[in-house]
Amino acid sequence: MSENHYTFRIQRNRKAADGRIDSRWVEYPVSATPTTTVLTLLEEIKGEQDGSLTFRQSCRSAICGSCAMKIGGRTRLACKTHVESVAHNGVVEIAPQANQPVLKDLAIDIGPFFTRIHAIRPYLEDGPDTDLVLEQSAYDQVNHVTQCILCGSCYSDCVMAEVSQEFIGPAALAKAFRFVSDPREGQKERRLEQLSHPHMMWTCARCAMCVESCPKDVKPMEAIVKLRTRGIAKGLKDGPGPKHALAFHHDIQKAGSLNEFTLMMRTVGILGTLEELGTAFHLMKKGKVPSPLPHKSKGLEELAKIYEILEEHPLDVETKAKEVVPE
Amino acid sequence: MRLDFAYYPGCAAKQVQKEADVAARAVANALNITLHDMPRATCCGAVSLRETKPAFSLAVAARILSEAEESGRHLVTICNTCLQTLTHANHRFKNEPELLDKINHVIVQAGVRPYQATIQVYHLLWVITDQLDPKVVQAKVVKPLNGLRVAPFYGCHNLRPEEIFDSAAGEKADHLDRLITLLGGEPVAYDGHDKCCGFHVMLSDKREMRAMVAKNCLNAKNAGAEVMITPCTLCDMSMGSFQGPAEKAIGQSIQLPEMNFAQLIAVAMGLNDSAGLNRLHVPPQAALAARGLS
Repeated sequence: MSENHYTFRIQRNRKAADGRIDSRWVEYPVSATPTTTVLTLLEEIKGEQDGSLTFRQSCRSAICGSCAMKIGGRTRLACKTHVESVAHNGVVEIAPQANQPVLKDLAIDIGPFFTRIHAIRPYLEDGPDTDLVLEQSAYDQVNHVTQCILCGSCYSDCVMAEVSQEFIGPAALAKAFRFVSDPREGQKERRLEQLSHPHMMWTCARCAMCVESCPKDVKPMEAIVKLRTRGIAKGLKDGPGPKHALAFHHDIQKAGSLNEFTLMMRTVGILGTLEELGTAFHLMKKGKVPSPLPHKSKGLEELAKIYEILEEHPLDVETKAKEVVPE
Repeated sequence: MRLDFAYYPGCAAKQVQKEADVAARAVANALNITLHDMPRATCCGAVSLRETKPAFSLAVAARILSEAEESGRHLVTICNTCLQTLTHANHRFKNEPELLDKINHVIVQAGVRPYQATIQVYHLLWVITDQLDPKVVQAKVVKPLNGLRVAPFYGCHNLRPEEIFDSAAGEKADHLDRLITLLGGEPVAYDGHDKCCGFHVMLSDKREMRAMVAKNCLNAKNAGAEVMITPCTLCDMSMGSFQGPAEKAIGQSIQLPEMNFAQLIAVAMGLNDSAGLNRLHVPPQAALAARGLS
């Protein structure tokens, strides 16, 4: 395969004497075949052009998670990313992971990410919820999320983590789901209760960026959706997140469409609504106030019947992980 | 080619964001795209119903998809979240025949026609940029945007998860950029074009939601955008109507006019009566006038 010319535009970061980070972009020309990995080229730059370039790497096989960095605007494993797939007009832009402090160049302090992983207690605990008999299907859910290599890509691209220091983040929630859905776990309910607290599972904005960023197809957001379903099923309905979600199923079942007029009241309560009166007036200025009597669709009796049937005969529609067969 | 669709505007377009619906109908009409109303269609349940009642949410989607299928038409929407919710269900029905059987077994008992999983779910933006000859669109542009610098804000639910959609999604999606160019504008590249508007945490995490709005709008503005467009009525609500509250939250003025993609097309096609610009919180008229569009 013939070689192409690429320009690596790398964010170089250095801690100044006052502790702040000095950032500048430096360009490095490289030649490579389109399927050369970004990591190979970073090593080449470090070896032949500038030995001071700092980045993390280890296994080169997409299993250690060390070389996750922003490549072409998204967090990716440098060892798994072909240079051509991320080049825009021959330029490959590389920066450190976001949402955590930068140490030097492309290396970040991974402490905040791991603090969050530890916060969900990433180990099986004794307790009353342990299943004593394991069915064939016992790991249908667990196996979705055990592929996580803790590379931090999802946390780096998380739009909620970008604006919230408190949010627990996608990887920790996916890990929490791994324990909540493990038949051996003894504290499933206690975990769900803790996951219902502010800045935990209900704070995810459902943007699915983590689904796209994850190099191991863990789909953290899908795990978050399943956690929420389990939380509500256990009666953990306090707080604006579950109340908002529950309002939808009430409205659709009764009227077929969403009653946006009362949605706020039902989500944040009277006090919350009063607090938001300023916003409500602001919206009213442009006539953006929903009607209290939304449009009714035809055939709503069908919906009521469907609801009734499913309440009487619940259907399991959860996606299942592929069976893992030992090699 | 006959462009004939079952039209599913979504709850927001029927109420608070009705300007998007008015503009979409006018633009579709001008482009000979026929949008048929769906009298039986309910709310899709958005991301919430999937969490509270997963099986019910699939049944609700099957009932909506079945109505479109019975009319012999693919479904088209102007809300990203409706698009993702219905596409997610449709993708599962097409790939999990046993699941489709189970859901059909339930809806048939309620008198609903079973869904055969034969239709596609499209965004009106995709129909305009994928299925029409660009020349057909350009022929209707009587007021080219004259180099207007437009920030495309895609939102999340027409992009991710990439593998489910019936058009290019994820990092490959470029519909808005192509549309802006087609109308004679200049698409602005900025950090945030594929990020979240915060709509779904507007009530539960309002500080964070406002921070998202502010960040996306500021990034677009600092990259030189004169206006922003989105393909989603929920993004419109966040980035447009909540830009004021977001400004208040960060203590900084942004004032980036924001509108639905259909409204900007209406402007470029001279369909001013249907553009609904007076319903926008950050008025775009001055920015448009500066480019000779008024």
